[in-house]
Amino acid sequence: MSAPFRVVIAEDSVILRDGLVQLLVDRGFSITGAFGEAEALRRSIEQDRPDVAVIDIRMPPTFTDEGLRAALELRRHHPGLGILLFSQYIETRYAAELLADNAAGIGYLLKDRVADVSDFVEALVRVASGGTALDPEVVTQLLGASRHADSISVLSAREREVLSRMAEGRSNGAIAAQLVISEGAVEKHVANIFTKFDLPVSESDHRRVLAVLRYLDS
Amino acid sequence: MTAGEAGGTQTPVRALFKEMVTVFTEERAPRLKEIARLIWREPFARRTWSEFSFLVIGAVLAVLGLSFVVVTLGVGLVLAVTFFGLGIIAAAVRGATGIGGWHRQLARNLLGEKIEDPEPFASRPGFLGWLQAALRDRTGWRSIAYLVIKFPLAVLGILTGFSMWWDAFFCLVFPMWGGNGNSPVVFGLPVAIFGSGFFSGAQTGFFHSLAIFLVGIVLFFAAPWVVRAVVYLDRRAMRVLLSPDALAARVRSLELARAQTVDTSAATLRRIERDLHDGTQAQLVALAMRLGMAKEKLEDPEHVDLDQVRRLVDDAHHGAKEAILELRDLARGIHPPALDIGLEGALSTLAARCTVPTEITLTLDHRPTPAIESIAYFCVAELLANVAQHAQASRARIICTEDSGWLRTVVRDDGRGGAQLSCLGSSSSGLAGLTDRVHAVDGRLSIVSPPDGPTVVTVDLPLHV
Repeated sequence: MSAPFRVVIAEDSVILRDGLVQLLVDRGFSITGAFGEAEALRRSIEQDRPDVAVIDIRMPPTFTDEGLRAALELRRHHPGLGILLFSQYIETRYAAELLADNAAGIGYLLKDRVADVSDFVEALVRVASGGTALDPEVVTQLLGASRHADSISVLSAREREVLSRMAEGRSNGAIAAQLVISEGAVEKHVANIFTKFDLPVSESDHRRVLAVLRYLDS
Repeated sequence: MTAGEAGGTQTPVRALFKEMVTVFTEERAPRLKEIARLIWREPFARRTWSEFSFLVIGAVLAVLGLSFVVVTLGVGLVLAVTFFGLGIIAAAVRGATGIGGWHRQLARNLLGEKIEDPEPFASRPGFLGWLQAALRDRTGWRSIAYLVIKFPLAVLGILTGFSMWWDAFFCLVFPMWGGNGNSPVVFGLPVAIFGSGFFSGAQTGFFHSLAIFLVGIVLFFAAPWVVRAVVYLDRRAMRVLLSPDALAARVRSLELARAQTVDTSAATLRRIERDLHDGTQAQLVALAMRLGMAKEKLEDPEHVDLDQVRRLVDDAHHGAKEAILELRDLARGIHPPALDIGLEGALSTLAARCTVPTEITLTLDHRPTPAIESIAYFCVAELLANVAQHAQASRARIICTEDSGWLRTVVRDDGRGGAQLSCLGSSSSGLAGLTDRVHAVDGRLSIVSPPDGPTVVTVDLPLHV
């Protein structure tokens, strides 16, 4: 990594906070601060201007959705800041609020994902560089709740795999590597999906995430 | 009849007499001089005129009430064959409750009679629901009964109490307005008795007037007591018929206990979730993360920094043990496994873990139901925790006994005392929740803790819910 991403962390569990710092430093990130609540996070971001913030959703004082509120506010004041929300549970409603108008630089992951260190780091890098990283769980919930079950069933098994990964925010290259197929094959699947859903083809990865999610959620 | 039985039959009568003395004089066993002073004072006492006002206003309300009941119930019964009639009867029940409320308010304001408002009418959705609820409303039917009884009481009050005042007034002014003995007088009974020519040959004379005046004085001092006697009957009728219905009150208290139980169990679940979320889940995530890091470092066998990997595995190992410990504590907090064997074993473990030396005496012939055992266990656990934290005690004692279907658990310590349920509750949110659970099964938790101790907390629980 040539210029290390600068990361700020807000997580109220000391064990997890320390663990995250250890992991990210080990992977060459530079940590601008690690805090247990949202107010200190806000001040730190004003001051240090990090590239990306990892934010726990449940934090003091009410232990409900402080992290989400803070994230929505940060999004308004610091459009360039990447935000990775980090939680023990996935609430589809939170994802919808977060992605309301723009999926660029947004991530929403289950805390469990840190166990697969490389995947987690890759997701963080994606968010820091303006991409999207949605937990497979979010995508599963959206697929499950979608009123377009009939059009999803039109997709082939392979196309469904590509759809899920596309909705998670992955690039064609990453999808190809994961499914062990050529990038050309992925492009063909993506084109098929957009045709079957009757959606205009989007260029950037995060735009097509939004397009797919909108379609599933509408 | 034995002496005991005779005493038994006399006691309620004596109790009633005592109560009447109290109601009438507000003083126990007054001496003769005091009685004389009381009689002298009473016609001018504020209470006397409050009762008189109650009598008069109550009589007006009584006429209104009985008319209402007779008309509505009468029309309702005539039309009862139709649906419409039932509606009128239901309206009568609801209306009677309202008029009963006026009487209660009157008694409260003028007599200081503290009759609590009955439970508010619990309607059900829809007109049919309302109809059914109103027709079954015990409070309403009791109000109707009161309105029916109130009328003869009011008539009695007017014929005795009110007319005595009237006569007293009439007799006292008789000498002043002089001789016309034939003037029509509504309740002029004394004037009728001491008719024209009584005591004197003349139609009216000095002695005739004097006799009537003296009678007036007697009536003047007697009237307050007659009014009070009638009002006393009314008070008793009100206490029986206009007070909260015992059954409704019981239902209400059960509903309250149920709501508390539901709230408490929801709060308990939330606490468990929080403990799991903040403790074990976080521990396990951190553990998985460290193992993940170690795994990736081992993937490249050429450049393994063994020291770093060892540190990661070490941390993970430590975290795993912590997580196990936290889970065990959490599980025990939900249900102590020792309770499966019985209360004695579970309480012994508690006593052994308490930092204050604790002795246990347990004599139970029957085993309580699991729910009761659990409540008793957690009460003792909270109380021992309080003893250890606040009491500065050198020893504590747990005594469990069984008494006619009840489990009595006593926790006493020789500490500094001065404990109160409220401060126990606030220092440990657990005990407040436990008090709710104790009440939910009709149990009782009481605390005796004078300054300088000892503190004795008694928890009574039914053996079976």
